[in-house]
Amino acid sequence: MTKTAAVGAAVDVVGVTKMYGPLVAVDDVSVRVAPGEVYGILGPNGAGKTTLLRMLFGLIRPDGGEIRVFGRTWDEAGVHTLDDVAGFIESPKFYPYLTGRQNLEGLALLDGSGLPERIDEVLEVVDLTGRDGDKVGGYSYGMRQRLGVAASLLRSPGLLVLDEPANGLDPAGIRDMRALVKRLAASGLTVLLSSHHMDEVEEICDNVTIMNRGTVAFHGTIDDLRAMAPDPGHVLRTGDDTQAMSIGRTRHPAVGVEHAPEGGLVATGSERDLAAYVADLVRAEVPLLAFTPTRTPLDALFFMLTDARPDDVHLPREKQVVR
Amino acid sequence: MTTATLAPAARTDVRRREASLGDAIRWETRKLRAQLRSKALLIGSLVAPIAVVVVVGAQSRPPKDSLFGRFSTVNGFAMALLVLGFASQWILPLVTAVVAGDIFASEDQHGTWKTVLTRSVSRSRLFWAKVVVAIVFGLLALVLLAAATIGASLLIVGHGPLIGLSGQVIQPSTALPLVAASWATMAPPLVAFTCLALLFSVWSRNAAVGIAAPVVIAMVMQLVGSLGGVEAIRPYLLTTPFEAWHGLLAEPRFTGPILDGAATSAVWAAVSLLAAFLVVRHRDITGG
Repeated sequence: MTKTAAVGAAVDVVGVTKMYGPLVAVDDVSVRVAPGEVYGILGPNGAGKTTLLRMLFGLIRPDGGEIRVFGRTWDEAGVHTLDDVAGFIESPKFYPYLTGRQNLEGLALLDGSGLPERIDEVLEVVDLTGRDGDKVGGYSYGMRQRLGVAASLLRSPGLLVLDEPANGLDPAGIRDMRALVKRLAASGLTVLLSSHHMDEVEEICDNVTIMNRGTVAFHGTIDDLRAMAPDPGHVLRTGDDTQAMSIGRTRHPAVGVEHAPEGGLVATGSERDLAAYVADLVRAEVPLLAFTPTRTPLDALFFMLTDARPDDVHLPREKQVVR
Repeated sequence: MTTATLAPAARTDVRRREASLGDAIRWETRKLRAQLRSKALLIGSLVAPIAVVVVVGAQSRPPKDSLFGRFSTVNGFAMALLVLGFASQWILPLVTAVVAGDIFASEDQHGTWKTVLTRSVSRSRLFWAKVVVAIVFGLLALVLLAAATIGASLLIVGHGPLIGLSGQVIQPSTALPLVAASWATMAPPLVAFTCLALLFSVWSRNAAVGIAAPVVIAMVMQLVGSLGGVEAIRPYLLTTPFEAWHGLLAEPRFTGPILDGAATSAVWAAVSLLAAFLVVRHRDITGG
């Protein structure tokens, strides 16, 4: 019997665990995605994002915990769990000996109701009109990615799950894919998106879970994340590193100045302190060759959260609470 | 990408109809029809027997050491039965395995399990759809092989009375249904070999293994069946039912081996399908 009542969340993952022998791929992970939300799951390769999404789609069985999608679980509802869900895991795959349109027609057949009349519509959305008669074997990576989005939209889902949708795309493809996701989200669709690019999640998502080594390193809003981000670091190249470091240490205690492993200096601090420090260097006639940000504050936080074990990362206690 | 917007579909009810077995069978059939290999196999099933009949029929010395070989160059019914004996040993397991051995493994090869299993179709329905399509394909290939062989044999070699296995003379009006029935007895072991190929396709996730393994098993069983002192296991070999038609051409006729062969084939098919089903049902789809 399919449960449709008491739907509080589009996705409710509670304490899910998946093991492959001694390897814990996903360890007691909980995620809650509200309807209409654009939710990001962020983490480096191997963090467990894809395993989590595969479990959501029923491709992998969890060893523990529960996954509800619009209130339904796989044990109770079987394939009806995905009634209002569509998406793709990693790069979307199709039958190379069929055309794009034939692939979509076949998938519509497997959708039960089919909605084949939407094929032209979804092809237009992803800009594949005119190429739908070509065999998928001849498609570029980006075209297959777009066909994957078209195949998902064919189900006219309430929840769209996209696993690293911009992966492998060129910069123009990335820009277009992000624009498409934002447009779909603006239409009221709930979007669950995994990525290992902080800027992608920051640009698109309302809320985010950061995973590392199968566990949750952070749950919260993008604003929460920004508030936790460390001061930005800048690579400083001068004609006299010794004097530059001396000026920093003696006159600007709020600015950290260290030797960079790859040469030059790295200065960290607030924008105001850094500006004052650089002005001092100019006044002292230290030749200033370059002053460039190392990485964005959110990127820095992401690496901090995922390079170290989560237990070793000092987060405010309330930030570790599952939303 | 364009700025086209997608009109939201009517969302009055998010309960979606699950794809039926018929939907899944239609999908599998479409895929099969689009593949060059399956078309080539069916065309080959139609053309190759004609070529074989022409070549063997033109021999000055008939293959006397083969069943019905002695009269094969002068009697079309004998020719059709000679080809049947050869096909059952070497061709039929391969013909059916070409599709059955690939039908599950190709999903792994193309990484498309995740594509189809994230739609509204259960693993069970997809499994049975593939089973049905593979079995129907195997039987279709058998029908084409039989029709082409019998037709070519009678037209090219002739259709005089047939000398049976007990030396009796079988009139053409009786010989034709008996030859057709002999070809029909290939169906149960063919289906069983199809199921075996399906199992290897599921288990190995590799089309080459799925296709080659049933052929190798058939060869080994042929070899074991030809050895002396294996009477106890011979009835359980999957190649034994391929010889069950001999009783139809004897005097008096006997059909016991056909029934025994059907039972043996059914057991092999059931066990293979059960094992394959359990693997498909419980495996984690981690690739693709």
